[in-house]
Amino acid sequence: MAGIDSKDIRKIIVACDAGMGSSVMLASQLKKQLKNTGVTVEHTPVDSIPADADIVVCHSGLAARARAAAPDKPLVPFQIFLGDPAVTKLVDAIKNGGTVDA
Amino acid sequence: MRDDLLDPRAVLLHESAADRDAAVRRCGRALVEIGAVAESYVEAMLERERTISTYVGEGVAIPHGTAAAKEDVERDAICVVRFPGGVDWDGEQVTLCVGIAAKGNGHIPLLAELAEILLDPDRARTLREATEVSQILKELT
Repeated sequence: MAGIDSKDIRKIIVACDAGMGSSVMLASQLKKQLKNTGVTVEHTPVDSIPADADIVVCHSGLAARARAAAPDKPLVPFQIFLGDPAVTKLVDAIKNGGTVDA
Repeated sequence: MRDDLLDPRAVLLHESAADRDAAVRRCGRALVEIGAVAESYVEAMLERERTISTYVGEGVAIPHGTAAAKEDVERDAICVVRFPGGVDWDGEQVTLCVGIAAKGNGHIPLLAELAEILLDPDRARTLREATEVSQILKELT
């Protein structure tokens, strides 16, 4: 995937392993940052990314599993759970328009 | 928030640990001691930590188990374990662990609050330097 126009993002999935820790924290932050944009944020296990997801966000350590589970979905890997530049760029693109590299 | 999510008995502010694994074990034991998880959950916490670090910034890590270990969770619970001497966490210095046991969503508001705290360096420092259980409860709940 070369990228996705931020206009086409309606649903973000934060993919995780256990879904009880860091991904929950990131999803709650994303929800707050994207409030009033109409974009939905959910967290799901990496092996059950829903078909209606427009873009997947996950820790770089899980990126290979996410790609295998949802090969057709744009993926934004991150390294830092809070304040990662890749996630900040995604939020900025949704708010201000633009293309997301994924 | 449920009253038993953050049990004051699981807030330990003067601990020490030789390394990351010892710190994770201490968190796991705190969750075992309050009856939130079975003993086997502790191994799952170590396994998860070895796969992907739960370091989240500002000297804080949030160790927790794997998806498979959810069956070892009796009830959603959080422990807070402080290591004033610091613990080397794959090159990062951790002074506070927020250990998590969850099979439901009861702990999500607390994690959301923790995220807010960690994005505010002053509040993060207050949390890291807390020496009283009441301070921790006040910040997180």
